[in-house]
Amino acid sequence: MIRILVVEDILDNLNLVRKALSKAGYEIFHAPDAETGLSMALDLVPDLILLDLGLPDYDGQTLAGWMREEPSLNDTPIIILTAWPEEAAREVVRSYRCDGYIIKPISRVSEFAAQVKSYLKAP
Amino acid sequence: MQPDNTPQTIKLIPASQFSIEQLTDIYNRTRVDYMVPMPMNAARLAEYVANYDVKLENSIVAASQDGELLGVIMLGVRHERAWITRLGVVPNTRRGGIGKALMQGLIDEAAKLSIDFCMLEVIKNNTPAHQLFLKFGFHEVGELLVLRRSPLNRQLDPVVADAERLERADALVLVGHDRGTQPWTNQSESLFNANEVSGLRLTLPDGSRGWLVYQRQKFLLTRFAYKTEAGDPAKVTYALLSHLHHQYPRLDTHVENIQVNDPHLPGFQEMGYIESFRRIEMWRGDPPADLNKFVRPR
Repeated sequence: MIRILVVEDILDNLNLVRKALSKAGYEIFHAPDAETGLSMALDLVPDLILLDLGLPDYDGQTLAGWMREEPSLNDTPIIILTAWPEEAAREVVRSYRCDGYIIKPISRVSEFAAQVKSYLKAP
Repeated sequence: MQPDNTPQTIKLIPASQFSIEQLTDIYNRTRVDYMVPMPMNAARLAEYVANYDVKLENSIVAASQDGELLGVIMLGVRHERAWITRLGVVPNTRRGGIGKALMQGLIDEAAKLSIDFCMLEVIKNNTPAHQLFLKFGFHEVGELLVLRRSPLNRQLDPVVADAERLERADALVLVGHDRGTQPWTNQSESLFNANEVSGLRLTLPDGSRGWLVYQRQKFLLTRFAYKTEAGDPAKVTYALLSHLHHQYPRLDTHVENIQVNDPHLPGFQEMGYIESFRRIEMWRGDPPADLNKFVRPR
């Protein structure tokens, strides 16, 4: 089963993501802050990480930079979730070597699941 | 039916009557829909309160008559100046006068302390908040940049210079010197209140020299204070940053509230710092004659 780590502090957002991705057949793991996110990412080495930029301890950019330096996570796509304008999201992706972004709010569950699927690496 | 949260029915309660966990929760709930939400956990908020001299007994939580928490605002106090921060109203209760009530309450609190001069920053393009501050007599005094530098930038060799690392005590001696008028977050007190503060001082072969003081967190370098003592500020800044990032190649960097016309800015840009967002700095009242006075904390 494909495993996705969601690093997100807002429960309503998490529930929406969980609903969309569970329905699509993915196994969802959740971290509510950056330090937990890093620890879980290193333990799980998930197939994909969905990373909210606004987190209560360190923000998503700092976490992305740290994850990208971890050899065990080299092949794990990191996708940022943000309400920022697309241009700013692209800059974060470039600067922190993420693999893509999804703009919030998530309005259509099926479209969101398809976006996530497009970032998963082929087995 | 919508609850009646008109200004007449809002209760203003000192923030000191709430636990730090409760304050964190209400603060986060007011920011949940912000483009730059900046959520905090209790430890971060406690650090914020301590670093920025926030007085919880003079800060305010707004509540409805039935006890539902609706918003928050905090007051920082240093000598004869005050700082308004963390103003937020829970999304579904906005446009009902809660922000106005919180602002009036906080200005009254400052007046009780005999402080007429207040500072604040507002995120650029947050029009409702900006308009509210204008209505309360604040005026714009400048534009501030929030900068980031990813640790994934290409690592460069440090610029050739005579460089020395400064431990906390030596670094704080430099920070206490006059650096001109600074936004609240970058005032000397903020560095004195912070943990894990150290610095760098260097002299370039042409005699240019300067220093940089910073806070090192687990994953992050932040809270910069700096000064060029001789030479071109951009060149000195680039040299200082080259040594800093050589020393901490894995740490992300987050620098708050650099004035847009700061002559050091090109040095940051050359080192790969990018603009994250902008704030507008606003003042209310006449600045005290000793605005830049720094009172060393005991």
